[in-house]
Amino acid sequence: MIETKTNVHLDEMSREEVANYLSETVRPEDGVIPAYIMGDENVNKLEHEKIFMKTWLLLGHESELPNKGDFITRDLAGYSVIVSRGQDGSLRAFYNMCTHRGMKLCRADKGNKGQFTCPYHGFTYKNSGELIGVPLQKDIYGGQLDMEKMSLHNVTLDTYKGLIFGTWNENPEPLLEFLGDFKWYLDIVVGRTEMEVIGPPQKFIVHSQWKIGSDNFVSDSYHTMVTHGSIAKLGMVPNAAYSKKGYQVHVKNGHGCNIGMPNPDFAFPEELIPEYKENLSSDQFELMSNVKNMIGTVFPNLSFLVSHTKVKGKLISNTTLRLWKPIAPDKMEVMTWFLVDKNASEDWKYRSRESYILTFSPSGIFEQDDTEVFTDITQAAAGTLPIVKNFNYNYTMGMHREPVKDFIGPGVVYPDKFTEAGSRNFYSYWLDMMKA
Amino acid sequence: MSIEKVLAKHEFEQWLYDEAKLIDEIDFDGWFNLMHTDLKYEMPVRVNKEGMERPDYSKEMFAFQDDIETMKMRVDRLKTDYAWAEMPPSRTRRFVSNVRVLEYVENEKAVVHSYLLIYRSRSTDIHHDLISGERQDEFTYVEGEWKLSKRFFIVDQTTLNTRNLAIFV
Ligand code: FES
Ligand SMILES: [Fe+2]
Repeated sequence: MIETKTNVHLDEMSREEVANYLSETVRPEDGVIPAYIMGDENVNKLEHEKIFMKTWLLLGHESELPNKGDFITRDLAGYSVIVSRGQDGSLRAFYNMCTHRGMKLCRADKGNKGQFTCPYHGFTYKNSGELIGVPLQKDIYGGQLDMEKMSLHNVTLDTYKGLIFGTWNENPEPLLEFLGDFKWYLDIVVGRTEMEVIGPPQKFIVHSQWKIGSDNFVSDSYHTMVTHGSIAKLGMVPNAAYSKKGYQVHVKNGHGCNIGMPNPDFAFPEELIPEYKENLSSDQFELMSNVKNMIGTVFPNLSFLVSHTKVKGKLISNTTLRLWKPIAPDKMEVMTWFLVDKNASEDWKYRSRESYILTFSPSGIFEQDDTEVFTDITQAAAGTLPIVKNFNYNYTMGMHREPVKDFIGPGVVYPDKFTEAGSRNFYSYWLDMMKA
Repeated sequence: MSIEKVLAKHEFEQWLYDEAKLIDEIDFDGWFNLMHTDLKYEMPVRVNKEGMERPDYSKEMFAFQDDIETMKMRVDRLKTDYAWAEMPPSRTRRFVSNVRVLEYVENEKAVVHSYLLIYRSRSTDIHHDLISGERQDEFTYVEGEWKLSKRFFIVDQTTLNTRNLAIFV
């Protein structure tokens, strides 16, 4: 019998009461995740405050702004920011809002500029944030305007192996600590050699709850057999069950990944092996030599993917990043970046990009089946029904399993990709943040 | 306009209408048959540039970048039982207009630009997606028929407001 609690009204609860209700009902340790957290507006609002305004979020990759004066505009928790490389070579980020009367300062996706001039009244800022010019300043402000106090609003920034993270939190846990043991795995994905982003990121809107994307990448290899069944049919991967073989890892702070292995073939350009060996520990290199794919999520909404498939009869891998950016409880913007080993041959780079576009871009033949599923889950989770009927998802897969002790990398590791341990870990950190 | 030009324009309008009919009616094999073996089918990522700087699309990144082989894979995939993204298929309607024949060599090759508006509706969803853009097409005449040898689709959004491109442009 389903317990019906028609008296639950999250919209009438205080933030603390919502957090308490989440504590009672979100029970990752038992494999119980309630459906309402994928559709409720109040949960979404609280996530914005408690998670997106507090944690590190990806803004981009250093190779997107290699030169002094380069800038990109990106969203940080839904707010436009300018990331710029100053004349001193260092990266800074600012809220994209003029401190005079709030006009959006920069409307281009990227470019190169030493200074930004506001389109409203012409205040000019250096790309390091200081206000340096106000038209007719002496006359109209009588020389009284305290320009030093009117710098652009600063965003806390840090980088790891080329990844640029920002946060609105002025006292965040240091990025390296936040990533913790997950760095070991991230190194293989983005730090194996100098990586570069090719072209602009691709962006598209999906009527889906953002967590479904993060969750899918953190622990769901199980869906591959069915959702991506067409890929095996085309002979791009060995068989439908290939996705089970390998390991699933999770570490503190909700991060986790799936490592498909073994792989009889080396998934990366072989001529770069000396570079890989130089940048990675011998254990990391050993793992890298065996991977068929790596799929993971850095909490809360950055996912990555290394995928090795056969295109036109030839094996090729591609490395991509994606952000699942919430724009409403039932809507997200997906942003994907294609990365490639900078010193790979032109032929490798071309084929790798081709395989990304074919498989994981907005037209990608893997990607498109996922977004279809995400949309339908979101629709079913909306409204008051899931909460009053207490509908729960089942996240118990692999709970009977013991982690392995002798894996080459850190974290809690299971010897099979088919487990929901990574999702349980993701939601328990999510819950910690929502309660904090 | 000379009579030759009027006829050429009419010829390619009909070609594009026929193409639209085939894909709107989910006849992917029929559609694929319109493609030339040297096909280059590209849709670059559109970007927001500073001021009037052009072109305002990327030369390095694409939402589609297919040749005849990868296009064949896409079409074959849609025919497996697992292509969930288009199962059941979207209801689409492709509106082709503003057809301009830029180059025309009878029974040899042609360059044709046109505007495209795709209406897409899925399942019971009350929302619909609109995809608008310009097609820059090249045609090659093979054994009595015009085949599409190049399509460059410039989409009018920097963030695509559609869940995926499981449909063709
Ligand atoms: S709002 Fe920017 S100069 Fe006034
Ligand atoms: Fe998937």
